[in-house]
This record gives sequence, C-alpha cells and structure tokens, in this order.
Amino acid sequence: MQRGLSLESSKSPENLRRDRINRVFARAVIVPTVLALALIAVLILDTIYDTVSVQVVEVTETSGKSFPLGQAWNAEQVIRLELLAQGLPEEEVNRLMADPEEMRIFGLRNRVELMWATQDGPLRWVVSSIDDERVSNYSLLEGLRRWNELKAGLQENQQLRLNPWLDQSFLSRDPSRNPISAGLRVALFGTLWLLTMTLLLSVPIGVGTAIYLEEYAPKNALTRFIEVNLRNLAGVPSIVFGLLGLAVFVRGMNLGPTLAAAALTMALLIMPTITIAAREALRAVPDSVRLAAYALGATKWQTISKVVIPATIPGIATGVILAAARAIGEAAPLLLVGAAAYVAFVPRGPMSEYTVLPVQIYLWISANLSEFANTAAAGIIVLLLTLAGLYALAFWVRRRFRVEW
Amino acid sequence: MSTSSQNANSWAKKQPGKSLSERLIGTGLFILATISVLTTAAVIVVLFSESFQFFRQVPLTEFLFAPEWTPLFADPRYGIGALLAGTFLFTGIGLIVAIPLGLMTAVYLSEYAPFEQSVRVKGIMELLEGVPTVVFGYFALLFVTPILQSLIPGLNLFNPISAGLVLGFAILPYISNVASDAMMAVPRSLREAAYALGATKFEVVTRVVFPAAISGIVAAILLATSRAVGETMIAAIAAGQRPLLTLDPRETIATMTSYIVQAATGDQPAGSLASRALFSVGATLFVFTLTFNILAQRVVERYRERYE
Repeated sequence: MQRGLSLESSKSPENLRRDRINRVFARAVIVPTVLALALIAVLILDTIYDTVSVQVVEVTETSGKSFPLGQAWNAEQVIRLELLAQGLPEEEVNRLMADPEEMRIFGLRNRVELMWATQDGPLRWVVSSIDDERVSNYSLLEGLRRWNELKAGLQENQQLRLNPWLDQSFLSRDPSRNPISAGLRVALFGTLWLLTMTLLLSVPIGVGTAIYLEEYAPKNALTRFIEVNLRNLAGVPSIVFGLLGLAVFVRGMNLGPTLAAAALTMALLIMPTITIAAREALRAVPDSVRLAAYALGATKWQTISKVVIPATIPGIATGVILAAARAIGEAAPLLLVGAAAYVAFVPRGPMSEYTVLPVQIYLWISANLSEFANTAAAGIIVLLLTLAGLYALAFWVRRRFRVEW
Repeated sequence: MSTSSQNANSWAKKQPGKSLSERLIGTGLFILATISVLTTAAVIVVLFSESFQFFRQVPLTEFLFAPEWTPLFADPRYGIGALLAGTFLFTGIGLIVAIPLGLMTAVYLSEYAPFEQSVRVKGIMELLEGVPTVVFGYFALLFVTPILQSLIPGLNLFNPISAGLVLGFAILPYISNVASDAMMAVPRSLREAAYALGATKFEVVTRVVFPAAISGIVAAILLATSRAVGETMIAAIAAGQRPLLTLDPRETIATMTSYIVQAATGDQPAGSLASRALFSVGATLFVFTLTFNILAQRVVERYRERYE
C-alpha cells in the first residue's frame, strides 16, 4: 500500500521524521471506521443487554405463582394451572377456559410469560396481573450479583424474576401504563397501516415525477426549478414536515391526529427519496431500447409503460424499500401529527388514531420507570430486526433482478 | 439529460396522430411533478404566515435579544437565543466528532483502501446511516451519559455532550460520502506530480489531495451541519428539552428541534401565541438548514466546473 518515493536512500533525520509520520498516518486512517463499527456493535449489544432485567415485584392474590417449564408447555396450560392454584374447582376452570369472553378478560388483566428464573428456580412460567406493583428493577449483571441478597430480602407477597422483556407475548400485548403488561401490538399495526398508506400515496407521485423529469420534461427553466426544488426538499429536516402536516393536514384539512394526516405527511417526506431512486433507474435504461420501441411503431407512452418501466422495476423497488425503511424509523414528524397520544387500540381505518414503533420507543424512553427502558430496548430490537429484513430484501432485489444492458 | 435521449424524445414528437390520451399522460405526469414544488411552497407559506402572526404580537427585538425562551410560562419570554445556544452546543460537539472522523474515513476510502475493503467501509457507513435516530438517542441517554457522568463532574442527565458525541457518528456518513467523492475526483496527474517531486503519501494527501478537494470537503461539512441542525430525536431524548441560554455543555439545554418536540407533545390550541411561537422556531430552523444546503450546492457546483 505504501506508494510514493522510498526514503530509504537518504536517512537524514528530516526524512526519517517524514517517513514515520507517513507510516503512522497510513495506520491512523482506518481508526474512524473501526470506531464506527465498534459503536454499532456496542449499541446493539447494549440494547440486547437492556432487554433483560432482574425485577422484584409485589404480586396480588391472583398472580405471582410460578410453574416450572416441565409442568406446562404453552400459555393455555399455564392459565389452567394458575386457575386451579387459585383454588377453583376443576369444572369451573373448564367452563372458564371454554368461554372466549372470559379468556379475553383474563388476557386483558394478566400476562403469561416464561421467566428465565424466579426465586423458585430457573425457567418458570409466571402469571402477572396488571395490578402487580414494581418494587425495584436491576440491570442484568447487578441483579445477578445481588440475586441471593434480593431473594433473602423478599417479603411474603413479593416475587423475584429474571425477566426477558422481549418474549413472544411482547409483540401481541397492548400498550399499558404498567410496564409489566406493556407491549408492541398497537404500534406494530400502526406502523403497518402507516407504511402501506404512505407508500400508496408516495410511490405514484415519486415515480410519476421521475418519469416526467427523465422522459418528458423539456430542458427549460421550469424543469431546472423542479430539480433544484426536489434537491432542497430532500434536505428539509423531517420535523419541518411535521409542522407542515400539523398546519395543513391535522388543522387545515381537519383530519385531526389520524393515520390519514400522518400518511399524507410521511408521503411528502419520502417522495423526494423515491423520485431520486426512480430517476437513477430510468437513466440506466439506454436510449437504444427506447429507439427500438419507437422503430416498431410504439407511441411514447407505449414505449415508457411497456419497455422502459418494466426494465426499471428492480431499481425502483430497491429505492422504494429503502424509502420504506427510512419511513419506518422516522419518529420526529409523527410526534407533531398525533402519534404521541396514548392509543390503546389497533387502528381500524385511515381515520383512526395511531402510534408507530419509533414513537412508542420514544415514549417509553421518556417514561420515568426504569422498566420502560427495558421495554424500549425490546422495541428497538424489534425495530432493528424489521429494518435489517428490509435492507436484506432491498439487497436481494438489487442482486436478483439487476438488468445488464 | 443526455443528447441521445433528447434525440429519442424529438423522434417521438414527430410521430403522426399523437392521440389525446398520449398528451394527457404527459400533462398528468407534469402535475405529479409539480407536487414537490407545491410542498415546498406549502412549507414556506405555513412557516412564514404563522411566524408573521407571531411577530405581530411579539416584537422582533424580544425574539432576538430576550435571554429566555419560555412561551408556556405565566410570564412568557420569547428569546430564540436560548434555543440557538442549545442548537450550537449540540451541533458543534457533533461536528467536532464528525469532521475529523468523517474526513479520515474519506481519505481512507479515496486514497488507502483496496477495492473490497472500501466496499466494506461503505457498508459500515450505510449501516450508521440506517440506524433510526431514536435508537441513537436511546444509546446516548442510557449508555453514553452514565459513562460520561462518572468522568465529568457536574454533568446533567440530559446534556449536549453525550447527545453531540452520538450525533457525530450519526452524521459521519454524510461527511465521508461527499468528501470521498470529492477526493476521488482529484485528477491522478496531480498526485503523480507530487510523488515525482519526492512527496510521501501523507504529504500528497494533506498538501495536494486535500487542498484540491477543499470545495467538496467544505460542501460535505455544510451538508452535515444542515443535518445536525435538523436532527431531532437524539437532541430530544439525550440533550434535553429545557431552553437555557448557556455555553456550558454540562447543562441541560434545548435545541430548536427538541423544543418543537416538547411543544408538540404538549397540547397547544391552533392560533394560540404558544403555537405560533412553535412555527417561528420552525421557520428559523428551516432558514438555517436551507442556507447550509444552498451554500453546499453552490460550493459543489463551483468545484464541478473545475474538474469536468
């Protein structure tokens, strides 16, 4: 790698110094990359670490018993054990478990979870109730170090848990002011709804703009203005789009803090990204292809719709997926158009209130209880896995469908 | 657009019997293309009409010179200086981290890294770019701050130091991408000439490549500054939401963006002075980021003229 004149020949002190600086610098330039990689690694490991905590919880009469993994293999069996342990007769338990309404109410008030350990031993099922009160919460290492001390200090109605917050029911639980029963379900559905609506709005606009600029636009001042404008729009901070959405969609059009207002805002935000990707894809199609279509008697639109666009689908799809990834992680503008409200229900349509993954994570980070840092960490892992999936998809599409001219 | 594509277009225009629907499609696409212009217009109209209403009630001197920003207090003050100071601290610390690291990365990419290695490095930069900022905020508040608190006495839980440190990594890719493109555009002949004069690689990088690419480097820094000023979630989570006119980085501050978040998550009726104050902060933020972006484009355009 060492290029440049060799200084071996003249070993004057000055040249030796230059040589040393040169060699040190050649090693130092890699340092920022290593730091960046280290930061990403530490960030991910720290977040994973934060998804587990050691908790002391004050349980109620109808919760707090734990059952070893061998006794029950799924939530239903645990509920049966729990009800029997509450002293209900066998027939009563059978009746309750056969009644979907009773089970729904039980599900709203309780949470069945496999804890990595309780004071009774490793891997035990615990039924918690929303009335359970947190006593204290420790990070994994501190909790394990003090495990015996905490166990000895437990009072009659208290339980010690090694709680993996990111468990299977985390994704299916509704939000709650009690971290023990807080989950991601509403935010996941909100993200899915919002993403779908945003893409339905922004893909036609973004791709249409790109087709106009690449295939139709005359070379004049107006076209240049549109191009400069697009570039500047891409540089506007996302929170400013939030202000725009608040003034125009939430207030002006009276949509209120709904999915519709959020989707319109997000569509405007990611539209430049989609346009830029689509323009690159269109530019990659050589003109010989267009001329060949014209030579066969195709009209301009026939050429574009039947020849050019099919060839750009992989490029546009990659761009859309990357824009979707950006939209999924975006929290700031949505805080202004209603996502910050406490929403307890899954959206039922475009006019529903909503929240999304990153906003739910932000709200958990801002909450005071340390357990919410654990649920936030669990939420971040879900968010990062979703993004990793999308990036992998974009990578695969680019590889698999690339057109070589 | 390339000249051959112009030819293709003119060829299409000459076709006989161009139908009405063909022309309608062109018009329809043009209308879609104007949506982006309308969006920009809407941003400007919204921000400045609300700000105009704001300045009819609050004198400009109050906005510029009052020492506090407290629109929600019983005795409200509207001094943007408190938010500008916070933004300056947050952005400044971010840039102190990002500029050296980003430029080093750019040098590595353009001058040192073999091809496969540069693909990997770019991948790492894309990873950094892809991390949602709410995640960076979480990391700054719950990982970086506790470590810094044990090192720096008197450091508040919310502070611009840890937020800025993490911000530096978040904007690093913007600097390294643009700056490495600029360095790669420096003609090989300049480097070879310097080597022929007996320069070491370090001397070539610092005295030839760097000065030759300076406009691209400046543009990279301007773009990154614009990103940093507009960065919201890291500031809102880790730097704080308490406007304070200070240059002490250990204090809890508020940036323009984190104030907007704070105000938005509270409830302010439309048309109230507090709501208008929110938009005046938005307008200030918009002017700052737009200025940095336009400056960056200007610098880049000038630099293109020199090498193409």
